[in-house]
Amino acid sequence: MSARLDTVQLGILWRRMCGLMDEVAETFIRTSFSSVVRENGDMAMALMDAQGRQFVQSTRSVPSFIGTMPRTLAAMLAKFPPESLAPGDVLITNDAWLGSGHLNDVTMIRPLFRPRGIIGYVGSVFHTVDIGGAPSPHARDCFEEGMCIPVAKVMEGGRENRLLFDMLAENLREPAETIGDLRAQFAAYDATVERVERLLREEGFETLDEITGEILDRSERSMRAAIERLPDGRYADELLSDGFEEPLRIRAEIEIAGSDIRVDFSGTSPQIEKAVNSVMNFTYAYTAYALKCVLDPATPNNSGSLRPISVTAPEGTIVNATRPAPVWARHLTGHYLPFVVLGALSRIMPDKVIADSGAPGWSVYFKGVEPKTRRRFVRMYFMTGGYGARPGSDGPSCLAFPTNVSNTPVEAFETTTPMLVTRKELIPDSGGAGRQRGGLGQRISFRSESDDPIVMTIRHERVKNPPRGLLGGEPGRPGRDLLNGKVIPAKTIQSLARGDEVTFETPGGGGLFPPETRAPRAVERDLRLGLAGPARAPGRGEGGRRNVG
Amino acid sequence: MSDDRMRVGVDIGGTFTDLALYEPGSGRLWKEKVLTTPDDPSEGVLTGIDLLLSRAGVAPANVGMVIHGTTLVANALIERKGASIALITTRGFRDVLEIGREMRYDTYDLAIEMPPPLVERDLRFEVAERLGPDGCVIEPLSLDSLGEALRIMRDRGIQAVGICLLHSYRNPAHEQAVRDHVRRYLPEAAIAISSEVIAELGEYERTNTTLCNAYVQPLFDRYVGDLEHGIRERGLSGRLYLMLSDGGTMHPEAAQRFPIRLVQSGPAGGVQAAALIGRLLGEDRVLCFDMGGTTAKACLVEDSRPVRTTEFEVARVWRFKKGSGLPLKVPVVNMIEIGAGGGSIAGLDSLGFTQVGPESASSKPGPACYGLGGNRPTVTDADLVLGYLAPDRFLGGDMPLDLEAAERAIMRHVGEPAGLGLAEAAWSIFETVTENMAQAAMIHALEMGKRLSDYTMIAIGGAGPVHALSIARRLGIRRVICPSGAGVASAFGFLTAPISFEFVQSDVCRLSELRFPNVLAALSSLRGQGEALLREAGVGAAETMVECRCAARYAGQGYQVEFEVPLAILEAGRSEELRARFEAAYRASYGRTETSGDIETVTWLLKVRGPDPAFRLPLAEVAGSAEEACTGRRQVYFRETSGSVEVPVYDRYRLGPGSRCMGPAIIEERESTLVLPPGWGLRVDRYNNLIAEPEPQG
Repeated sequence: MSARLDTVQLGILWRRMCGLMDEVAETFIRTSFSSVVRENGDMAMALMDAQGRQFVQSTRSVPSFIGTMPRTLAAMLAKFPPESLAPGDVLITNDAWLGSGHLNDVTMIRPLFRPRGIIGYVGSVFHTVDIGGAPSPHARDCFEEGMCIPVAKVMEGGRENRLLFDMLAENLREPAETIGDLRAQFAAYDATVERVERLLREEGFETLDEITGEILDRSERSMRAAIERLPDGRYADELLSDGFEEPLRIRAEIEIAGSDIRVDFSGTSPQIEKAVNSVMNFTYAYTAYALKCVLDPATPNNSGSLRPISVTAPEGTIVNATRPAPVWARHLTGHYLPFVVLGALSRIMPDKVIADSGAPGWSVYFKGVEPKTRRRFVRMYFMTGGYGARPGSDGPSCLAFPTNVSNTPVEAFETTTPMLVTRKELIPDSGGAGRQRGGLGQRISFRSESDDPIVMTIRHERVKNPPRGLLGGEPGRPGRDLLNGKVIPAKTIQSLARGDEVTFETPGGGGLFPPETRAPRAVERDLRLGLAGPARAPGRGEGGRRNVG
Repeated sequence: MSDDRMRVGVDIGGTFTDLALYEPGSGRLWKEKVLTTPDDPSEGVLTGIDLLLSRAGVAPANVGMVIHGTTLVANALIERKGASIALITTRGFRDVLEIGREMRYDTYDLAIEMPPPLVERDLRFEVAERLGPDGCVIEPLSLDSLGEALRIMRDRGIQAVGICLLHSYRNPAHEQAVRDHVRRYLPEAAIAISSEVIAELGEYERTNTTLCNAYVQPLFDRYVGDLEHGIRERGLSGRLYLMLSDGGTMHPEAAQRFPIRLVQSGPAGGVQAAALIGRLLGEDRVLCFDMGGTTAKACLVEDSRPVRTTEFEVARVWRFKKGSGLPLKVPVVNMIEIGAGGGSIAGLDSLGFTQVGPESASSKPGPACYGLGGNRPTVTDADLVLGYLAPDRFLGGDMPLDLEAAERAIMRHVGEPAGLGLAEAAWSIFETVTENMAQAAMIHALEMGKRLSDYTMIAIGGAGPVHALSIARRLGIRRVICPSGAGVASAFGFLTAPISFEFVQSDVCRLSELRFPNVLAALSSLRGQGEALLREAGVGAAETMVECRCAARYAGQGYQVEFEVPLAILEAGRSEELRARFEAAYRASYGRTETSGDIETVTWLLKVRGPDPAFRLPLAEVAGSAEEACTGRRQVYFRETSGSVEVPVYDRYRLGPGSRCMGPAIIEERESTLVLPPGWGLRVDRYNNLIAEPEPQG
């Protein structure tokens, strides 16, 4: 810390930068053209210093994006070294291995210049509903999954890269939406440049690194202190995902040594020719995120917090897939990772962990034609399952973990889509029993009101292996997908004709601690409200807990 | 409205009930502060009115209007003390209320709690019916499907019912039929339908708002009834009016139908006061800064009109965090919470930086220095240690403060763990809370495309003037006004509010497809309702004004910008002008417009209002120079002076018009203290407002 920068001043500066990031993220969300960004919040913005260390993020940020952004920046700089960048340049890529694990997530980064050179980077990641191609859970390689934008300058000296925009316009089903979102981010970057410049000028700094070094060091110390409180040793957990014909195994072993923590995924299934492979960036992001939540949630997240954490996985597994593996639905693996991390730590941190949630996140794509304008549409609808039980309270119903995306109001969805939502309700008795009960899943039905066929794509998990209970708690109810009342596969593409009704039942969260220890008042209340019945069938479905280590 | 009789403004706060009495003829103003009587708030009000009238020597028969604002609605929601309530909604959707928006408001906290739904599952009922997004009937209403629900509601003694059906904002017929049906079975119950409470798209927020309205209605009815009775009993001839959250007032019958419109009643009065003072002093861009015991709020006022919104969150359940409360759609002055109040608790965050709030010691146990059992340091404790407040002068000396307790708390929770001395630790609390507020105010302004450096700040609330100038400095604001009686500003503001009511009507439609006659028909129906309301409130047709605004966006976007639309534009069907107005508003907010793309209107807002009540600020009645008003000197800490320095202390009540002083200085009045840092100068205007500006350099 520079001599003139005392604790009080540093704390103030820090808060200013956090506020700045929220402000520009808000600009992006409010001017965005896609419901995925503005209603579901599937985006993140962050500031990195000249060394590429992320130190501030917007409050509304999807966890995976934050974890991958510094890694994407490093890959971008490998191709375009800092000395090759000029003011007004913006770098872009959606390469799954360099970015956030699938082509739909586009990362862009703009260098921040002062007279003496680059002082940092502002970056954002956003989810675009369509990136061309024919994405499917059954894709055999990543080329089927859409258009890959290599690391490139999407803006050069403040001018849009014409070729790239033309490519997007030709290859996407809804180019106006995606391009509108790109421009909304450019505007947010402009705002960032202006605000950072003003902050540095007012506070009399030349670079960001003068401020960030101390922030990162303090964040690191805070994380190390939390790790040090845990007993050294190795702790492991594993689970089975639904997979396809065969379940897939996800195994984590955590080694705690002093103030360092290492997570290794050896023993996890080999990668497969289905779109559920996770790349290392994505695996790292969700592993680090879970550790941050359970060890040091109060410290604002940044690269410093993550220094004591290392994550390894054997190449060629579903958690470290190699090119050209299909990765479109990589969250069907990645969203499981926090649960093996928490499961492994549950013995030594029983008062901090949560049971499995109804994740990986559920969503559905509907593709069709707008009756009035005859334009093609692609709509995505998110629907959450139950949250896992926590040591102090029941899991909330219909709340996502580890991802965090909001729903679209039914009235807003119906206003833009020729479909009717015919129900959206809690599924009684779907939360895993326990001293603390898992959150309930939801049942939601959509009916086509369109004379044109609507093509529906789903890729759901936890229909065979439900969210597990933890420390004696019972599993939640598995999920289910139905078309006109008949169960359909959870990973499928189907065509809906007018009047067809599809129903999704998201999984309930797992319970925590043995159900016999639940307070009688809580049992009575569940019964009265129809949230849970009196008799609880023991262990539903397969894939019960296997605690190793 | 051309009534020359006296007007009384009454604001019930958590601790105090503030009153103001105004005589239009002479422009004289009297103020009074009495303790709030929580068990029966009308008691405190009536006591206060008695006191005020006797002090002013005014006969009750000379009072023409009593304008009242209250925290009753907000408190009933925070404490969940409303009626026993049930919900009726479209079949298949009774759990929407519990499912909410499915978003964690904190990304890292595994233990977060979501706000419990206002109605539990066993009292959420469904009715067979369905409307489409254009309002057409997809499934006809079956009142028979409510049979069981009605029986249960009757057996359980339900006092209030909220009815919210999907897409009812496009077609209220089903909701109206359900209401009429329910009323036959539950004639005593308060019933609210969403298409009347707030006809806006978004089922979760609309359901919540409708329920909150019904939930507080019985309580509110009783309260207003008691109050009106008491007023009549005292021989006050005037009518009662209630302050709405958007800065308008309404007669009790209308307010009783929509009590949720009073959720921000008190704070709206404060903004109204700032708007008036701004107008009278010729300030057309005002930042109203209101800092009380638990929260600090900010609101922009432009051309004497507070900026408004229809989004509001009440009753946060998890560490006061944004997102952990009940979301409401209600017309409110856009007064955002920018942070902590005097009671907010300080400590260290996990990085070792000083953190203030969002936890608050409120008034019980209160700051450590109150000596009421609080032992954690608060902003007020820091203000005391820094010398901004004096232990023996708080509330005019009525409430002695315990300096040692404040010092102990600050050292224990901030100083020692951070390795800071007492003054530095206290300073870090002051500086942090100030920075947080400046930050939040700046974000708020920028969201609306405004630059605060062009604004004048008007500081109100007990703690406002202590922090005002430090915040102003950070925001680049070059003039701060502390009005006389800043501590009772809300009650004062009530006196100046026009009678008005706003309607909100969602109608999502591309501009290219907009049928102007349909829009006009919908608006004129609302206008008819509004004019009827105003007539009941005693506003003549000639005095009634109608204002129309539109919220629109580029097709495909999800957030709207609002702009004014003269009805003539709609009557002439000039869509190009509508587009131009939208683009101007969009550019003002985001600094650019989109090159292509259709525009989509989302919501129409129609406000009917009476004239602004005539009001003159009372002229100062004291005369005295700064020398004469100086009551002593004390040690006060400033960053600029690198430690404590001795500064003069002035008695505001003895500072006459024209007197001037230089910072550093302290100006004390009964309910608040103005801290004038080095580099600022102060003058007193003829209305006894304190006006602070930076001294020219050199």
